[in-house]
Amino acid sequence: MNTALNLSSGPHVRDRWTTAFVMHVVLLSLLPATVVGVIVNGVHALLVVLLAMASAFLTEFCFDKLTHRPNTYTDCSALVTGLLLALSLSPNVPLYTPVLGSIFAILVVKCCFGGLGKNFINPALAGRCFLLISFGRSMTIYTIDGVSSATPIAELMAGKAVDITRMFLGTGGGVIGSSILALLVGGLILWGLDIIHGEICFSVLGGFTLFLAIFGGQGFDPKFLAAHLCGGGVVMGAFFMATDYVTSPVSKLGQLTYGLLIGVLGAMFRLYGSAADSFSYSVIIGNLFTPLIDYFVVPKPYAYRKASLRYQRGETGKVLNGKLVKPVVVLSIIALLAGLALSGVFSMTKDTIDAQKLAAKAESYRAVCPDADHFEAYTSEVEALDGQVYGSSFGRVYINEAVRGLDADGNLTGYVVSVTTADGNDADISLSVGVSPEGVVRGIAFTALNETPGMGMRCGEPDFMAQFEDKDVSQFTLLKDGGASQPGEVDSISGATVTSRAVVNAVNAGLDFCQNVLRGE
Amino acid sequence: MKTTFRGGVHPKDQKAYSRDVPLRPYDPKGDLIFPLAQHIGRPAKPIVKKNDPVLVGQCIAQADGPMSANIICSCSGKVKAVEKRRTIAGTLADCIVVENDGLFTQMEGFGTREDISGLTNQQILDRVQAAGIVGLGGAGFPTHVKLAPKDPAAIRYVIANGAECEPYLTCNDQLMRTCAADILEGLDIILRLFPNAEGVVCIERNKPEAIAAMEQAAAKYEKIRILALHTKYPQGGEHNVIQVVTGADYPTSKLPADMGCIVDNVGTIYAVQRAVVFREPLFTHGLTVTGDAVKNPGNFIVRDGTSFAELVEAAGGLKEGVTLKKALSGGPMMGFAASSLDVPVQKITNGLTLLSKDGSETAERQMTACLHCGRCTTVCPAGLMPQMMADAVDMGDLERYEKKLYGLECVACGSCTYICPAKRPLTQTFKQTKAEIQARKRAAAAAGGKS
Repeated sequence: MNTALNLSSGPHVRDRWTTAFVMHVVLLSLLPATVVGVIVNGVHALLVVLLAMASAFLTEFCFDKLTHRPNTYTDCSALVTGLLLALSLSPNVPLYTPVLGSIFAILVVKCCFGGLGKNFINPALAGRCFLLISFGRSMTIYTIDGVSSATPIAELMAGKAVDITRMFLGTGGGVIGSSILALLVGGLILWGLDIIHGEICFSVLGGFTLFLAIFGGQGFDPKFLAAHLCGGGVVMGAFFMATDYVTSPVSKLGQLTYGLLIGVLGAMFRLYGSAADSFSYSVIIGNLFTPLIDYFVVPKPYAYRKASLRYQRGETGKVLNGKLVKPVVVLSIIALLAGLALSGVFSMTKDTIDAQKLAAKAESYRAVCPDADHFEAYTSEVEALDGQVYGSSFGRVYINEAVRGLDADGNLTGYVVSVTTADGNDADISLSVGVSPEGVVRGIAFTALNETPGMGMRCGEPDFMAQFEDKDVSQFTLLKDGGASQPGEVDSISGATVTSRAVVNAVNAGLDFCQNVLRGE
Repeated sequence: MKTTFRGGVHPKDQKAYSRDVPLRPYDPKGDLIFPLAQHIGRPAKPIVKKNDPVLVGQCIAQADGPMSANIICSCSGKVKAVEKRRTIAGTLADCIVVENDGLFTQMEGFGTREDISGLTNQQILDRVQAAGIVGLGGAGFPTHVKLAPKDPAAIRYVIANGAECEPYLTCNDQLMRTCAADILEGLDIILRLFPNAEGVVCIERNKPEAIAAMEQAAAKYEKIRILALHTKYPQGGEHNVIQVVTGADYPTSKLPADMGCIVDNVGTIYAVQRAVVFREPLFTHGLTVTGDAVKNPGNFIVRDGTSFAELVEAAGGLKEGVTLKKALSGGPMMGFAASSLDVPVQKITNGLTLLSKDGSETAERQMTACLHCGRCTTVCPAGLMPQMMADAVDMGDLERYEKKLYGLECVACGSCTYICPAKRPLTQTFKQTKAEIQARKRAAAAAGGKS
């Protein structure tokens, strides 16, 4: 009766769950956020999602075929990476960026490090940061209702008011996957199914919220905390990025450490940093700490823990099973101390930094309006702008301050307008434009210029700045290919057109404000 | 009240195949085979030779040393050979082969109830030893050794383990339903050996009839209580029942007795009752023949030495049109895969699971790289880190495996392998690694002893 019987070591039955099944559930859990993102942002967003997923899948497929590695593209993990990447991009990115980002994420971060389970940082986040660094400005053009604008979190970090309800629903601008409601639905389903570890997502959110509440300067103001939680990818990071199995610790205690690290770092970057994308970086830093945490944080088996040891020695008594209280307290204290130290340094240096900023501003005013003895501010004119983008043809330019220079006798010697543009290649650019009483541009001086050295940074060189000196024009024009001959024509710094254009637009905005508002009176 | 341990998994229990089929005796027709090593410790020494006549209940091989156990003949007939035969482990082992005359003539001297109130503790232990009783839960630890710890007064709990957490198996369930009073009498006898101990019967909640029967029978015993446990694998593990009862875990370097506990399977306790009260040696025990490949799954009282092939026939044979993929001695979590059905039932064989689908085979197809999902960590009942342990083995870092990760604490329950979505062969790796580390230690000790 006997045919050959299978022989193997037990267990002989297995759970239904496979890697592919887990990936399918994660994909499904991202569906609500994707649907909301596509409905809010339109067809272009759908294309970004589809392209990112398709190119992630194809990259892995081709890599496996070319290197003769079996069985990795079938598990759908590449699709998850592609979708996560797409959801963390602006809906207005050029269509080649999701493709490049996915290829980078899968090829460099995943496949080259050994494929599934071997990547050292979250591939989707790596792809996102790769795109942010490589394509700077085109990655961060956000729109609300079709109008170009800053993301809510950038507004929030600039100290402006935001609409929390719209952020929560995902209609307030930002990346494709910015609907907090939809992300929470997906994230909580994953948590309920035990696919993601609550230890991670809740310690990320907890660390982040606590740090903000303690050091944010606004206490437990629910509006302030909610606005920070709803923006800048915190929820996406906590539920979908930080919880990536491969790049997070395995032990519960390790997961708590890791989550708190990410949360606290994220909050610190929020409070003391400038980049709106800082949460991605804090998750990546957490990823990089994972091998270290996994090496050192190894819980003892139950038999070697205190309660069991006590029993083994013959001391009876209550045996406690919840052993997480102590480490959590210790970690919280560490986080608290680190935060205290940081905020201490921040507040100690804040006055000096502010004083330096003031001095830099005063110096720039004097540079472009040299005859003035003192300055008087136009407060009402600037306040009338209500902190909004100035004009419609200068990009994202804001007027910070406008003053008139007076000599010792009180005679008008010129005007100075301080302008900030958010269109710089790397960061915001601030500059002061000086205008004579007759309306002639006297020159410009930078108060904040943090562009790429050797490229955008060259806008601060005298040759470039001289093009704005003593020009009696109504507007400046940027010439990309050089050959400026007429007054008012400005040669772009080669290779730094974005910065050059931002500077010219900012100067034009300042000039426009001066001509039409200050001198027009 | 604590009703379970930390970790564990919920495999489909599959007990519906046989849970309501009452135990019935099965008398084999063919030759019976008795391996000499059916327990831990040294194999028993045969005391019969070829052509000797034997009877049911006759001791045919005697314990060799204190950790060994007697082997009892379960049929009448004559000894056909003392030779190597294939056993469940797949290897050839020394066996006594008995030609069955089909009459099952019993030896004199057992089978009637005796008054045991006057027995001394040593007399009880002697009867248990003579009966050749070993732990029927699967370990095969000689019961007379287990019942004689260094300090009997330090034992606080005698645990009757009726959890039966292994999927498919139901023979203990049926035994508890039908022989509740006998099991409790056995437990009461064991409690006589331990003046400070309380009897605890642990049963998983998926056996409500057994719990009810045992509770009814326990009413007259002051020192015995029934503990209904959460249904979860491996609830019936020695470490896990002790965890539930005492609230504490213990390392594998310690014995249950060090924790003030004696743990015996309900089947073993029933055997103790038969041995002490009726002087009946251990030659039959409960066994479940089950699985999706067999026609009439059921529970049997089988005689030791019966061939698996006969048991399949006893259960109606294989279903038509079904290919038998795997035959398991025991259940699918802890059981051994048999290479053929021509192997004998041993004392510790409590199930024969016949499957047309092999989970291990499917798993091999679905295997992917480890994702570090941590599910193995969550389910490990010992609180180990299987994922890190497997990593350490991959890196060849046995030092970290043993010292930092406590890899030797693994009891090979299989929960991590069961749950792994990447289908990694974790338990299998740990069994091998544990054996390797222990072999190295023995080699080092031997080298150290010489110098």
